[in-house]
Amino acid sequence: MNKVFKILLIIGLIGVAHVTSPEAPFGQNDSELSENWANFSEAFGVSEYGVDGYFVRAVRNGHAIFHNTANHAWRFTRRTRSHRINACASCHTPTALAYAFVNSDRFDRRLNKRVSFEERIMRCYVMHLDGFVPTIYDPAVRDLRIFARVVAHRNQLTEGQLPAEPFQ
Amino acid sequence: MSNLVSFRSLKLLPILILLGGGYMLADAKHEERDAFRKKAVDLTVGCQSKLSRYGLAVGDRYISPYQRDREGVAQPRRGYSAEDVRAIERGCNIVDDLLGQDATHHLARWNASRYVRGSHTSCDNCHQGIGDKQNAMGDRLEGSISLAASWVNGDTYDRVTGLLLPYEMRQMQCFINSSNGYKPNINDDLLRDITAYSRFLGAAIGLKIQERYLEQGVSEVTITDTNRAGDDHIRGAALYAERCSVCHGASGKGMVLNGRVLFPAVAGQNSFNRQSQNYYGTSDTILAGFICKNMPLGQEGSLAPQDCRDIARFIGTLPRPAGDKAGPLAALWQQAMMRTVPILLQLVDAN
Repeated sequence: MNKVFKILLIIGLIGVAHVTSPEAPFGQNDSELSENWANFSEAFGVSEYGVDGYFVRAVRNGHAIFHNTANHAWRFTRRTRSHRINACASCHTPTALAYAFVNSDRFDRRLNKRVSFEERIMRCYVMHLDGFVPTIYDPAVRDLRIFARVVAHRNQLTEGQLPAEPFQ
Repeated sequence: MSNLVSFRSLKLLPILILLGGGYMLADAKHEERDAFRKKAVDLTVGCQSKLSRYGLAVGDRYISPYQRDREGVAQPRRGYSAEDVRAIERGCNIVDDLLGQDATHHLARWNASRYVRGSHTSCDNCHQGIGDKQNAMGDRLEGSISLAASWVNGDTYDRVTGLLLPYEMRQMQCFINSSNGYKPNINDDLLRDITAYSRFLGAAIGLKIQERYLEQGVSEVTITDTNRAGDDHIRGAALYAERCSVCHGASGKGMVLNGRVLFPAVAGQNSFNRQSQNYYGTSDTILAGFICKNMPLGQEGSLAPQDCRDIARFIGTLPRPAGDKAGPLAALWQQAMMRTVPILLQLVDAN
């Protein structure tokens, strides 16, 4: 009886945690994402890299992860009721990501080390997305970097380039 | 019982002392290397010139003198902290002098030289001009394998590995094959410092992300660039003797004077291995392309495409390390060839 009570208590706590976690204010289903990709692809000239190919697929995956992280990098996000809030797009715009890319790999005084763009993404997964760390080679990291590259290319960014106005 | 415990303890004691001593030694070495990384970097002559010309300094903003002089205007970019500047300086030193021939401290290049087997390799052998080759007018040169152009065009598909290769993994390939060495970890300070330097070059010359530049990679020489006479290693040997051997030696073993490598080996123990893209048997267009655009030093562009292919074909016949993926038998065979072929050639020449 005692054992059953404990199990029920654990299930109850999980249920409460799930139900009381905040509702997702927005989220994209994959059909919306496809439409979004078509718009992005046209606006950012992805066809310059080919109709299809390893690079284009990586850009597309990066775009999908950026807008719908919980679905496309689900191994690295935590499954809470609010997990659909947790997308890179919740905090960043693609252009901000591109500027972060060209300004990455610098010494961070707070962390007392040089932090690469990939490590920043890994930290986002763990901290802001309350999830888990992908390896540096994982497509969940690599494809976001490639996505940032394409956006940087479209904006004609160079190394260390600063935005005209700081991003919020 | 207590006697037994104390006897066992005594037997374990030397092992514990050994482990503890080893740990303390490793920790002390780590501290020493860490302290060295925090010191001011002693630049090579080439890096002093390159980095001062590009105006590298600690500050909130960086304005490239190169762009300002050439284009009349240069946008302020994000500046560099003291730690960033040191990383860039270390990266430049590594590219210019990988094995530390000019280093004044034994720790200066310890983390670079341990990934290389031979004694001739330096990144600058292929990535000339410390990864940023220019003519007297300051124009960047086609096919000069610029590190900055390689950085801005990273993550593209690599037909050899079948991967979207990030810049750090391209460096790993250089260490494994072109340097016939070992693979550094992707987060190793060695790769990070080279990346820091390459990115700084990108900022200094103002290359745009994912843009195509002529100085990126090798301008490969294919058969269609030639008169289709066929790549002839005998013709290549004659050309090599005439145009290359004065620096690289008759048997391709390079030139070393008073312990300093003046010109690197293109064959033998200190050369690139058979899995490198420079090896004709792996790729017949890469070394030929490098030769046509970058060799002989000071007379670049003086060789015809067929000449370059013939020389590359000849260099491909010279013995060199097999490469790690070839397995122990191939490695053994190449080791035997590297030791016997030069002697046999001398005997043939003597007769």
